[in-house]
Amino acid sequence: MSDAPTLWDTTRSEFLKFRTVRATFIGLATLILLTIGLAVLITVVIRTNWNQRSPVERLAFDPVATSLVGVFFAQFAVGVMGARAITSEYASGAIRTTLAAVPRRVRLVISKAIVLLVTFFVVSEVVVVVAFSVGQAIYRGGHLPSGTLSNSTDLRAVVMAGVYLTMLTLVGLGLGLILRTTSVTISIYVTLLLIIPIIVNFLPSNWQSHVSKFLPSNLGQAMTSPSAFSPNSFSWTSATLVLALYTLAIVGVGTFLLTRRDA
Amino acid sequence: MLKIDHLTKRYGSTVAVNDLDFDVTAGVVTGFLGPNGSGKSTTMRVVMGLDRPTSGRATVNGQTYDELKAPLREVGALLDAKSLDPNRSARNHLRALALANRISFARVDEVLEFVGVASVAHKKVGGFSLGMSQRLGIAGALLGDPGTLLFDEPVNGLDPEGIRWIRDFFRSLAKEGRTVFVSSHLMSEMAVSADQIIVIGRGKFITSGTVNQLTAGAAGTVLVRSADPSRLAHVLRDAHAIVEELSDQGLHVSGLDAVQVGDAAFRSGIAVHELTPQRASLEDVFMSLTADALEYGHKNAEAVSE
Repeated sequence: MSDAPTLWDTTRSEFLKFRTVRATFIGLATLILLTIGLAVLITVVIRTNWNQRSPVERLAFDPVATSLVGVFFAQFAVGVMGARAITSEYASGAIRTTLAAVPRRVRLVISKAIVLLVTFFVVSEVVVVVAFSVGQAIYRGGHLPSGTLSNSTDLRAVVMAGVYLTMLTLVGLGLGLILRTTSVTISIYVTLLLIIPIIVNFLPSNWQSHVSKFLPSNLGQAMTSPSAFSPNSFSWTSATLVLALYTLAIVGVGTFLLTRRDA
Repeated sequence: MLKIDHLTKRYGSTVAVNDLDFDVTAGVVTGFLGPNGSGKSTTMRVVMGLDRPTSGRATVNGQTYDELKAPLREVGALLDAKSLDPNRSARNHLRALALANRISFARVDEVLEFVGVASVAHKKVGGFSLGMSQRLGIAGALLGDPGTLLFDEPVNGLDPEGIRWIRDFFRSLAKEGRTVFVSSHLMSEMAVSADQIIVIGRGKFITSGTVNQLTAGAAGTVLVRSADPSRLAHVLRDAHAIVEELSDQGLHVSGLDAVQVGDAAFRSGIAVHELTPQRASLEDVFMSLTADALEYGHKNAEAVSE
């Protein structure tokens, strides 16, 4: 008992905190139900209406993207959960107990990030694979075009959808570190993902082509599209890299502020 | 061993702690006394590494809090009993603290048992009363069996039985050779629970010493009851005493001792029914010491009676 605690001990502590509140499981259940439930809903609707589609519409049909439509909603669930990993501690005052137990604040953030990263990577990947597989099974049953995980392009789209959700969880954590209150953090998060794209839409189109590809939502599209999703978008590798840089920057700023501020 | 080393903490333009410099020694209960808003909590937060000092530092065993390898095994603190996640159970709350400091889960159950929270350890702490939360906070402070313990206003929210328990508990911790540092704005509480007292006001050091040392220097007063209080008051005022007339035929006299008051009454032929010397309480001393330091300026009782 005399040896000094390490990052491993802090991470075990954070993982215990993560799994000992009911909100964690409510959040994860929401994530799972939204992503898989929407995949079932959308793919069934498409299959039922397939006969009314024109040949052009049938040609434009993307069986992979339509089965992953739930990711659009899941990105809010993961952002909220990432933010709450820190903002709930500020709300209750538990942050003071936490910092008394772990005064090394950078280590604390790394531990929280590891817990979120591992949990949400595993859960997100399982969820998107299930959503994809269920969706494709529904399409196959109706003799619609369908994708498969043995196709490397489809596999990549599915895997990157999980990576996208994992990174957005950490964006939530980083914004939470910066803003400290749940409501403000969620407002800013929603603004980044939903409101700013709308504003960009009003920009002159020659500006749009430069700006819009940097938006997190479009980076997500670029990461998960089996083919280049628009002429102005990044490739999936560049998009992943840009989003990773955003994530690092936001978590980095949040960590820096945590080390400077009074708790 | 806790050392406050020329500590200053400013929040914007407000100076919460102003060049505090003192040591808290092991083996005794040290009281940290001051009016509300005098900087006690701020000092403790700096000790615990929560707030960054503007200048100076606070060290435990020669190290600042963030230099401590396993902080909870060297310092235990109860600063705010409600600083925990209301949705987590008491046991899981302590287990998280234990994991982060390499303390065994067996120790968690031990401290839960000790403070009498074991039977509700599986319940969410959000449903705990303030008294229960205080006990859980004490369990958290004891978790790492630390040599230095800090308690910020620990008697708040406790019932009389709990207050007695916590006084005995502080004494026993000190007897084991630990450094025990307890803040309060209640002088009467400090008078009975602390061996050594440090008094601050407006963030500044005022004085320190044992209860006896702090009260020894202050002049006492005399309570006298007589058949003719208004005439006696007149006689005593002629002898340059400061006299406050009480509603029940009594006079509260300062500036003369009991012998002088008795002799003066005898010479004037006024029968005395009661004559009681009153030793200055720690409270009186505290009031006179911190009168200048109070944020809100109100005159003391003597000035009003004149």
